[in-house]
Amino acid sequence: MTQLRPDMFEEAAVRLDGVSLRYDSSEEILSGIDLVLKPGSFSFLTGASGAGKSSLLKLLYLAQPPTRGEVSLFGRPTGRLTRDQLSALRRRVGVVFQEFRLLTHLTAYENVALPLRVMGRKESQYRRDVEELLTWVGLGERLHKRPETLSGGEQQRVAIARAVVTQPNLLIADEPTGNVDPDMGARLMRLFFELNKRLGTTVIIATHDLGLIRQIDAPVFRLANGMLVQESGEKTPAARRRTDPLKAMP
Amino acid sequence: MKPRENSLLPLEDAREAALFFVVGALCFLAALAALSAKSTYGAARAWTAEVEGEFTVSLSGADATASAEAAKLLAKVEGVKAARAFTDAEINELLEPNFGQSGLPADLPVPRLIAVTADTGAGDLGPRLSLALHEAGYDAAVDAHSEWAGDVRHMLAVSRIAALSIVALLSATAIAVIAFATHAALLARRDIVDVLHIAGARDRFIASLFERRFWLLGLRAGTVGALVALASVAVLIALGRSGAERTGLLPQLSLDFPDLAVLVVTPVIAGLAARIAAGITVMRSLKTVM
Repeated sequence: MTQLRPDMFEEAAVRLDGVSLRYDSSEEILSGIDLVLKPGSFSFLTGASGAGKSSLLKLLYLAQPPTRGEVSLFGRPTGRLTRDQLSALRRRVGVVFQEFRLLTHLTAYENVALPLRVMGRKESQYRRDVEELLTWVGLGERLHKRPETLSGGEQQRVAIARAVVTQPNLLIADEPTGNVDPDMGARLMRLFFELNKRLGTTVIIATHDLGLIRQIDAPVFRLANGMLVQESGEKTPAARRRTDPLKAMP
Repeated sequence: MKPRENSLLPLEDAREAALFFVVGALCFLAALAALSAKSTYGAARAWTAEVEGEFTVSLSGADATASAEAAKLLAKVEGVKAARAFTDAEINELLEPNFGQSGLPADLPVPRLIAVTADTGAGDLGPRLSLALHEAGYDAAVDAHSEWAGDVRHMLAVSRIAALSIVALLSATAIAVIAFATHAALLARRDIVDVLHIAGARDRFIASLFERRFWLLGLRAGTVGALVALASVAVLIALGRSGAERTGLLPQLSLDFPDLAVLVVTPVIAGLAARIAAGITVMRSLKTVM
């Protein structure tokens, strides 16, 4: 997957080309990263704490420019885009943060509707969709609750609903199961697979939950010493035999 | 029924309450300074219009008859609208503060006074009056009020410039305070701005949230400041009317239409200044991130 092929360039949802990143005068966190994610692909990103997973994801959701190299989303090199063009590109990306980043003064419904408000949609246009989505993630009765009144798992589901409400082309999740129990983690993973399968959303999930990774037949990229390598041999034989990753889910 | 959607920015906090007070106080001071500038300007115009074109002629060694004849002479000079000799009673009244009500000593050589009013656009009439009196043999001195009225006008102009400078300084201070507060608010709500930014909000969209917030804050604080200024002016007017009688030289505070317009415009200017300062601050701040 990390090997670039010319035929992949046109259709790549994500392409990193020799990307490096350093903050201020510190050492490089990421060095010469090459990565291609095809549209509709499902991948894991793993690595030890501090390996740079979150930094790599920041590059993908355009919160941080690379120090060197080029980040392209949906075939568009981001280094040459205007600020408005970057904003338009971000709208095609859904992000689930490890710490949720829900706005505490807004209700669950309003948090999920936030990307739609940003896009200038009228509430009358999105109200039903948002309510249905929250019902789908099991929060139909908690629409107008504020985040502080929701459990960790409920907050996580709100964050996921917010990330997918615009039906993004790319979904990025940073440790999405890090704050929930294993059962809830498995349910959330199933949700990501549903999105990937039904909507063709390109999904990349950063996690250090090797147990979860081993259960699912999906490419795994490991960050170590600032370098990105595709990992192999981590999966169980049963997982490798599976063609539908959803079958691995509880 | 579904609750009304909240603003993407949380309701104002204690920091904004402090800012509200500061902006309100600055608006109060700015409104007062603007009213002072306007009153000073009005007073200068009224007073100088009144005294300009008037001359006082003093005749030494002349009696009432000579004074009356001199007045007739002056009335014939080109550019003179009217000339009137002061009566003894009028002269005594003028000197009363110095000599009391018992009148002047008979042997005191008091000059006779003639009030001369010039036609509009008569030009510099003083030398012509002096020449006419000199040729007629009078020992006379002509006092052109415009000479010292000019000094007073200059002083009032300086006062007006000072008041306007204070308005400008207060406005600049308010803008700087709002810019600083916006920056602080932006930092305090970095999490919200980040979420909006990553969700694809354009800079203009994010800036508009802060602009709306600070526009309303400026408008409300400016309204309170203007209302307090209105109350203060009303009190000052009441005190002025009940105080000393001789206040003719002082600028008179009033509450006519232009004054009320100043008070109405103050909150709007405060709101606009707050909105613009907030918008510029947010846009500049967002430019520092990708």
